[in-house]
Amino acid sequence: MTPPAVIRLQGVTVEAGGRVLLQVPELLIRAGERVALVGANGAGKSTLLRLLTGLAVPARGEVEVLGRRLDAAAPRPLSRAGWRALRAEVGQVMQGLHLVPRLSALENVLVGALARRDELPAWRSWTRLYPAPLVGEAEAALARLGLAARAGTRADRLSGGERQKVGLARLMLQRPRLLLADEPTSALDPASTELAAAVLREAASRATLVSVVHHAALLPLLADRVIGLAGGGIVFDRPRAGLDDERLAALYRAPASAAGELLDDLPGAAAARLAAAHP
Amino acid sequence: MSLAALVAEPAPSPAPRGRLGFAALALAYGALVLLCLATLAAAGDLSLGRNPWDNLLRSLADFARPSFLDLWFGAERLEYRSDDGRLLRVEDRRAVEASYLAGLARATWVTFQIATLGSLLAALLALPLGLLTARNLGAPRPLAWAAKGVLDVARAVHTLVFGLVLVGIVGLGPTAGILAIALHSMGTYGKLYAESIESLDMAAVEAVRATGATPLQVFFNAVWPSVLPQFVGNHLYVWEFNIRDSTILGLIGAGGLGLLISEAVSLFQWGRLATVLLVVIALVIAFDALSRRIRRALQ
Repeated sequence: MTPPAVIRLQGVTVEAGGRVLLQVPELLIRAGERVALVGANGAGKSTLLRLLTGLAVPARGEVEVLGRRLDAAAPRPLSRAGWRALRAEVGQVMQGLHLVPRLSALENVLVGALARRDELPAWRSWTRLYPAPLVGEAEAALARLGLAARAGTRADRLSGGERQKVGLARLMLQRPRLLLADEPTSALDPASTELAAAVLREAASRATLVSVVHHAALLPLLADRVIGLAGGGIVFDRPRAGLDDERLAALYRAPASAAGELLDDLPGAAAARLAAAHP
Repeated sequence: MSLAALVAEPAPSPAPRGRLGFAALALAYGALVLLCLATLAAAGDLSLGRNPWDNLLRSLADFARPSFLDLWFGAERLEYRSDDGRLLRVEDRRAVEASYLAGLARATWVTFQIATLGSLLAALLALPLGLLTARNLGAPRPLAWAAKGVLDVARAVHTLVFGLVLVGIVGLGPTAGILAIALHSMGTYGKLYAESIESLDMAAVEAVRATGATPLQVFFNAVWPSVLPQFVGNHLYVWEFNIRDSTILGLIGAGGLGLLISEAVSLFQWGRLATVLLVVIALVIAFDALSRRIRRALQ
């Protein structure tokens, strides 16, 4: 029995100002898959992610995420509560999603639990008097990322890398069914990159993971299926195992403007270690 | 040359920029200041009076002996006699000053009450108006304009002017003072509220919403914690300002220290005026220090 579809795109075109940003005739991602989106800047990776969170609306075609139709042509448009339920099930690690500056690292992690309504009564979520089991879980998540000592620090006093880790811990408490990650390790040093990728992989062990990956060395950790994008279209879609470096490199060579960011900028030592650990 | 060509002749000069623009502004400002001075001088109003130095020295001497010193150094038996030497009245200056100081303490408390209640009322009145004018909340345009208009008018009219009008409406006493403070400060609060809300990190709000939080959860977890410390800081700042403002409200009969100031001035009791001013200065400085400390702790 094949696992159910988590993401289904059919004849999708996304346009902005008369220009086609993304065109996907068909795409199916099933539960439990780990998919990496690779491609140069402007290839359509972020547009695809925005499509899946409802931030981008297709001009044509069908978009279905976790059994809910998000396109305008849906027979029944999603209600406000429907959108909330969807957001609760979709975990996001995005560049633009900040922490709340005035809340402590721990409180920011607990924000991830806001939609777990059977464990968190509404009044507790308004007063930020979280029940002990959730606090324990949040502390454990921070400790897992090496931030136990920073739990009480306000988010605006954390470093960029620490904030990204708190964002990951928040994700661990959210327990999403679908995980969307855009450059999840951009602000991290090599050691933290390894750790964060491992955490993301763990969080994804019960979920479907779709991530934009810029470091080739992270592919083995984050993906068993790689989708290459160029110029707003899918140019290849194949298992990671059967992927050769030549094909990846070609993807970045294709448009003259795109720099080869995929293969070069993870510091050498960490890349080698990662490659050794996950052949 | 045709009329059309004559009208079209002066090419539109480019707007002054950079140093040239600044020089033009400075020139215009200088001209304005000269105009003010020249017209005053022409009207003969630019004078310091007949003997300013003597007056200054006399005032200083009067101020140098604030009346509260009478509490210790006043005559215990000050005798008032008629021209033929009959004893009219005996006065204990110390007791007189003690009762004056008791009245001063009551007036200080009234001033504090006016500032405190007026500020609180202003803060509450301004809250909906501030929310309406904050650009990132996207209130309906006509409502936003109306709210902004109310706030601008409130800021433009001085507390004393509000006080004069209100004394006529609600009568003499602290109520008029409280309402005057509230109406003027409402404008200040509204503007500060709107600014705090506009400086909100919308990406953080989005991030909380992205976890599937309800609107109330988003408000209490992303908006409130960011905005509350700023609101409290603003409140302390305006309150502090109003303590200063309410000390003169008594001048127009709205209660408090101002009444004692106007009384002392009318009776030429400079020693008493000095005492009242010392209290005003102590009150303002003490509250400033306290409020500054709290505001720093909130950052």
